[in-house]
Amino acid sequence: MARTKGYPEALEKKLRDQRYVREDSNPDFLKNVKSISRTIAHMCYQCGTCTGSCPSAPRSSYRIRNFMRRAVLGLENEALTDPDLWLCTTCYSCTDRCPRDIAPTDVIMSMRNLAFKRDIVPVNFLKTVQAIYSSGHGVPNNDVNRAAREKLGLTRDPPTTHMYPEYIKGIQTILNHYKLKANADRIVKEREG
Amino acid sequence: MAEKKATTKKAPSKKEDSKKVAPVKQETKKAAAPAAKPKAAPADAPAQAATVMPTMNPGDARVGVFICHCGTNIAGSMDIEAVQEASKKVPHVAYVDNYKYMCSMPGQTVINKAVKEHKLTAVVVAACTPRLHEPTFRTATKDAGLNPFRFEMANIRDQNSWVHMHDREGSTDKAIDAIKIAVAKAALLQDLHPKSVPVEKAAMVVGAGVAGMQAALDLNAAGIKTYLIESDMSIGGRMSQLDKTFPTLDCSQCILTPKMVDVGRAENIDLMTWSEVHEVEGYIGNFDVTIRKKARGVMTPKEAEAKGIVGGGCNGCGDCENVCPVVKPNEFEVGMKPRKAIYINHPQVVPLIYTIDFNSCVKCGLCVTACGPEKRAIDLEMKDEFIKVKVGTVILATGYDIFPIENKKEWGYKKYENVISSLEFERLICASGPTGGHLVRPSDGETPKRVAFVLCAGSRDNTGIGKPYCSRFCCMYSLKHAHQIIEKIPGCIPYLFYMDIRSFGKMYEEFYYRIQDEGAKFIRGRVANILEDPKTKNLHVYTDDTLLNRPIDMEVDLVVLAAAIEPKADTNRTRKLFGVSCSMDGWLLEAHPKLNPCGTTTAGVFLAGVCQGPKDIPDTVASAEGAASAASIPIHMGAVELEPYFAMCIEDKCAGCGMCVNLCPYSALSLVEKDGRTVMQVTEAKCKGCGTCGGFCPGGAIWMNHFATPQIVAQIDAFLLGGEQ
Repeated sequence: MARTKGYPEALEKKLRDQRYVREDSNPDFLKNVKSISRTIAHMCYQCGTCTGSCPSAPRSSYRIRNFMRRAVLGLENEALTDPDLWLCTTCYSCTDRCPRDIAPTDVIMSMRNLAFKRDIVPVNFLKTVQAIYSSGHGVPNNDVNRAAREKLGLTRDPPTTHMYPEYIKGIQTILNHYKLKANADRIVKEREG
Repeated sequence: MAEKKATTKKAPSKKEDSKKVAPVKQETKKAAAPAAKPKAAPADAPAQAATVMPTMNPGDARVGVFICHCGTNIAGSMDIEAVQEASKKVPHVAYVDNYKYMCSMPGQTVINKAVKEHKLTAVVVAACTPRLHEPTFRTATKDAGLNPFRFEMANIRDQNSWVHMHDREGSTDKAIDAIKIAVAKAALLQDLHPKSVPVEKAAMVVGAGVAGMQAALDLNAAGIKTYLIESDMSIGGRMSQLDKTFPTLDCSQCILTPKMVDVGRAENIDLMTWSEVHEVEGYIGNFDVTIRKKARGVMTPKEAEAKGIVGGGCNGCGDCENVCPVVKPNEFEVGMKPRKAIYINHPQVVPLIYTIDFNSCVKCGLCVTACGPEKRAIDLEMKDEFIKVKVGTVILATGYDIFPIENKKEWGYKKYENVISSLEFERLICASGPTGGHLVRPSDGETPKRVAFVLCAGSRDNTGIGKPYCSRFCCMYSLKHAHQIIEKIPGCIPYLFYMDIRSFGKMYEEFYYRIQDEGAKFIRGRVANILEDPKTKNLHVYTDDTLLNRPIDMEVDLVVLAAAIEPKADTNRTRKLFGVSCSMDGWLLEAHPKLNPCGTTTAGVFLAGVCQGPKDIPDTVASAEGAASAASIPIHMGAVELEPYFAMCIEDKCAGCGMCVNLCPYSALSLVEKDGRTVMQVTEAKCKGCGTCGGFCPGGAIWMNHFATPQIVAQIDAFLLGGEQ
């Protein structure tokens, strides 16, 4: 730190990035990612096939290869606090093409899991949880859809919890078991008051 | 054996009691005892056993045990002192010693001295593995005045200290067990005498690419008659399809054709093109190979003369080709040029003899007329011929094929016209190729201005579709391709999409420097996918510029896939004929990856070039010269010694049922009439000592030298009964 004494904090932070093993690196991070994702995340050789395949990358700052690198190096904080983590569309193109036969999509999913354990999750994801809890659907049916279905000769509501609301209870039991709803409510309340 | 039985009964080991399997063991013992009798029988029974006098009584056997530390490889994981102390208590052990490196000269001296001073009758070395040092210690045993087969190895490194690195106690116990077992066998070892067989003064090389040609030329120069077998119509192989070679930029054909001509002219080379190995019998020194000479439809001047057509045969004039009405894609030009049903690959073929593709020939007879009544070279009714030759050694140089890169669908090969493979690029840029050396886009014949090279196309791929290995020369030829583009098309920019540039050979890194200096652009990122603009037929290459951390979509005119390579299609059939194994990826398996890369586990069969694994031209030629040298040694020696591990028939007990004859994988056994009885007979030179027959024989009439039933039973006893006194 001595050589950056007196410099602005931003530069200090930037220079800190040069050090490979950082105070926020956690060797268990890779282990956890691997055990949750069930994929060989440590075998990434950074070829870029994932980012090259990614439909999100050209439209955002999301770089899946960076997350793979962070997994290998155990940069837990950097990975979990990066808001880009939530920009994966789970199209699985990267998983299809990865020459090392890794499933980068599943690595991202495992990181989202780990982030959620630390309450790091965008509110819109939590609102999806709330929607599923109340309706059984992440994207509940709406009038436009209902009209379109009718036009196609389908029932206004699909044969899901929309048609059989008595089954919503079952979904709620599952979500309660994992305390997903309670946590979602709590975090949304903290953020939005 | 009897004495051993007595000792074990006198002092049953603790193991026996604790495991409570004693009754079973007693039974085994009893069962073994009658079997033990005939141990002496082979001595007088079979006439062929005259050299071996089996005495299966350890009697006054005096075994020396020598424990190797292998530096810390062994000593680091076990208690050598404890092993030594325990070994002293094993029956028949007369002397025990240990040394840091038993294989070293001082280590071998320890063995030598001990054998003489303590009048040892057998030597046990507890060390690495017989694969590595059995020959070493056999020689040491021989130097000490014993028969070299009075040596037994206890594997306490590869199968013990290396795998039980963190279990000191366990590995010590296991080493003691291994020594007990080895001593039990050593006490029963017999003098064996290797059989010497003469070696036919001829060799065969399968495949006449640059590796096969080089090997054949070397054998020729060494004065060895060499049969060079090539399945294609001409020799030259892949190298003759290339335009230039890296890093010197020599014209490939210019440096190859002199060699091709030399092969055609060489006095000792019997060149057989359009031929395949059909059947192989025999063993080192005496391989009987049947070659299938595929019907070529055209006679060489020699063949014509043999048929009484003086001055006839093909002279390569090409009159036949001109009149042939059938048009097919030319495989040599990767299908980018037409050929006729009667054709040659290219003007420089050796031998310059036309070939008829009978799959497409319509037998119209126009070529026969064009050839004329003097040459009369064409025979449309020609049939495959089978030729038998005898050779002492064989070199396989079967080479490679391009991996079917269309299997990696994301790159659009065979879907988008302007995505080509590197071999197609070679033909397009080659002056003698289909476009006379003008690189054009297949879609519209335009000259490309932006060319993308996709490296590792199918290589370094663990998905199961591509190949897990590095194909080793794609980086370098792609650099060369980049150079050729810059040289031939002013203003054209080559973009190389790479993961790593592997420029590891002599002058290769310098070549990389040169191409970068010439203006090639390098983008570090593996190509994720390629899409075609349906209007312009231009291609969009999608990747991640990993160094900029930015996804890119680059529009180019032409994409060249540096495709992975795989073993030649027919490799599996050929290797099985010669009893050669292959590794997981299909490349032929060498005897040792570092110390014996040209040899195989089949004595007398050697590997040259890419069939053993991806190689560039310099490595291929070096490997071929190595194989030629190795293959010439047995021929120059004139005779080879075979391991005396062959089976023997105890004729008194043989019922002549012949079941073993059918089981033998090496066709080494046969039934013969002897003294009015049918008995089995072993062709010792063919027998590999695998033990299939010995293990099966219902009458116990087959004696496996060096792995005899009493020896094996003694080993099992030593383990189960402990062997302590």
